[in-house]
Amino acid sequence: MRKFFLVVLMVSAALMFAAEVTEVRIGAGWEMTGPIAGFGQMSWDGVKLAMKLRPTVKIGGKDIPVNVILLDNKGDKAEAANVARRLIDMEKVVAILGPCTSSCALAAGAIAEQKQVPLVTNTATNPLVTQNRRFIFRACFVDTLQGKLLAKFAWEELKSRKVAIFVDVAQDYVVGLANYFKQAFAKFGGKFFEVYYNTGDQDFSAQLTYALAQNPDTIFMPGYYAEIALISKQARELGFAGNLLAGDGADAPELVQIGGEFVEGLCYTTYFHQDADLSPRTKPFVEAYVKEYNRRPDAFGALAFDAYNLVLDAIERAQSLDPVAIRDALAATKDFAGVAGMISFPSDSGDPIKPAVIIQIKNGKPELKTVVRP
Amino acid sequence: MRMSKRLSVKTKGILTVLFVILMALLIAIADRKASDYFVLILNLIAINIIFAVSLNLINGMTGIFSLGHAGFIAIGAYTSVLLTLPIEQKEISYLIKPLIYPFNRIELPFLPAILIAGLVSAGFGYLVAAPSLRLIGDYLAIATLGLGETIRVIANNAWSITNGALGLKGIPAYTNLYWSWGWALITVVVIASLVNSTYGRALKAIREDPIAAKAMGINVFSHQVMSFVIGSFFAGVGGALWAHLITTIDPKSFTFVRTFEILIMVVLGGLGSISGSIIGAAIYTVGLEFLRVLESPFKIWFINYPGVPGMRMVVLSVLLIVLMLFWQRGIMGRNELSWDSIVSAFAKLRRGGKA
Repeated sequence: MRKFFLVVLMVSAALMFAAEVTEVRIGAGWEMTGPIAGFGQMSWDGVKLAMKLRPTVKIGGKDIPVNVILLDNKGDKAEAANVARRLIDMEKVVAILGPCTSSCALAAGAIAEQKQVPLVTNTATNPLVTQNRRFIFRACFVDTLQGKLLAKFAWEELKSRKVAIFVDVAQDYVVGLANYFKQAFAKFGGKFFEVYYNTGDQDFSAQLTYALAQNPDTIFMPGYYAEIALISKQARELGFAGNLLAGDGADAPELVQIGGEFVEGLCYTTYFHQDADLSPRTKPFVEAYVKEYNRRPDAFGALAFDAYNLVLDAIERAQSLDPVAIRDALAATKDFAGVAGMISFPSDSGDPIKPAVIIQIKNGKPELKTVVRP
Repeated sequence: MRMSKRLSVKTKGILTVLFVILMALLIAIADRKASDYFVLILNLIAINIIFAVSLNLINGMTGIFSLGHAGFIAIGAYTSVLLTLPIEQKEISYLIKPLIYPFNRIELPFLPAILIAGLVSAGFGYLVAAPSLRLIGDYLAIATLGLGETIRVIANNAWSITNGALGLKGIPAYTNLYWSWGWALITVVVIASLVNSTYGRALKAIREDPIAAKAMGINVFSHQVMSFVIGSFFAGVGGALWAHLITTIDPKSFTFVRTFEILIMVVLGGLGSISGSIIGAAIYTVGLEFLRVLESPFKIWFINYPGVPGMRMVVLSVLLIVLMLFWQRGIMGRNELSWDSIVSAFAKLRRGGKA
């Protein structure tokens, strides 16, 4: 009996490890569980679709299958570091996709940089993520560029001259974006002033009374959707008739659910919109996504889709599976047609120069207003 | 017969020294031969041991239900990083507001930075303990929980000191196995000798019944403050080691979730048992990484398992529930792993084998 058991065990072990074929191993570390699991899951959906549409990579005339190994980092810094180490040491990956939050991307990036393996994040926008790093890239625009593009849009399209900026002092992303907007808007010669609030505030009448007394033509809210909806509502109720402008924190269905008719006409930036003609690949992607998941594509998925294809393109151009060669090819990326816009990396930087999509709320629906190019 | 089986103090001392030397040898081998991934896990085990043992001193030994550990870890991490971060890195990281004097001129080696981090953390511990220890039970838990969150919110907003929520990166990776396990050893030795001293017996008396302890002539308040301050010191040291291991910190790393993770390790090992805390920290740290296999797709015979993200958390939770059902006071309860208990366990095994 015991012998039989042993034989079964050995045969099964052999079968388990027998399926060894040459493949391109790419790692993925995303926030699949924890408080922001939604972001990681949307990103992973984008990669799964990308793998389905492009399952192989051509090296030396041979099609080699691509295997993406997904590990979960719980949205935790230490786990993100563990994941990066495990992917590089044990899974022997040639490149890493994700994570989507800046906090985790910083931790994973430190390890990828040290081990000289390229890492492409889809949505980490903190400027520190790629600063002074040779092996870290992103598929999204950096907050500094978003601030510039928002200032350009406000000055040229909205004809804003005096802007009231509502800053959520509890959010790094908000304070950062407000600062980059101010720097760029001051260069155009525009005037601005700041009012402050905290995440979770409900009543903005004090800040609004102060702000409206100075007659701004635009209110800029680089915060998150819940407060944006409330500020817009209370500003309109106090008789404000000017422009409402927000950053990509407004990009959530709850904006209209909370704000209702009061957010009508509000404009905000985002990375991706299914109607925006960002590149020749946008339309086929939207069709494939709707067919696969039966819902409209989101920015996380679209940018993860781009991150996957960026890496595969780099491998094909490098004609090699050496991480350093892939990194060099990635850095040399020029006019890559991503579904969320053309991507080119400037020399010595992992921050792509790419357009931002401006959305306007019309009849309670987010509709494409324009695309601002840098 | 049974009494004669107890080991003499001398043999126990020799065994302990041999054990420490053996561990040091194993760590030296791991440092040279093991993969970076394995070394990272070993480092995290040591740092979690520091966190768990120091929280156990406050919660398990003294009976102060503190939920502010993450705050002290944050203070230790930020203090040490402000002292060790290279000046060039300080100049480029502070994008929104420049770092204030004198931190923008300082660059210290690791050892003084760790010690200062621990002392600053202990100082904050004293400031906090003095008013909040006038509260008892649930109220104290709420006060310390609020305090931990306050420290995090301050770190989020003090842009010219902590770089706000942008966080800091490029921290020199000083932490290695010798630093982390060395400090884990110091933590365990200091807290174990404290617990076995007159002070420790006083702390345990306070845990059992503060009023009875007071009646026995123990100064309850000053003993509680001392325990809190020492616990905060080691939390700060652990925070410094953690920051120099991960090499980037931001306020999001120090939410109350971290406190609860440490609390899980302590309760799993046994509230009031130092060796329990060590076992709990090791199981929790290794368990989560080891169970990762459940999340990746694999093939057993001819069944394709697709890999479900989050599965390891489900399995670990079930394991923890089962463990707590069988050992209601944690794995070790309030007992300690000692040479006597190991020898008697072996003796039991041998007797069982013969019979």
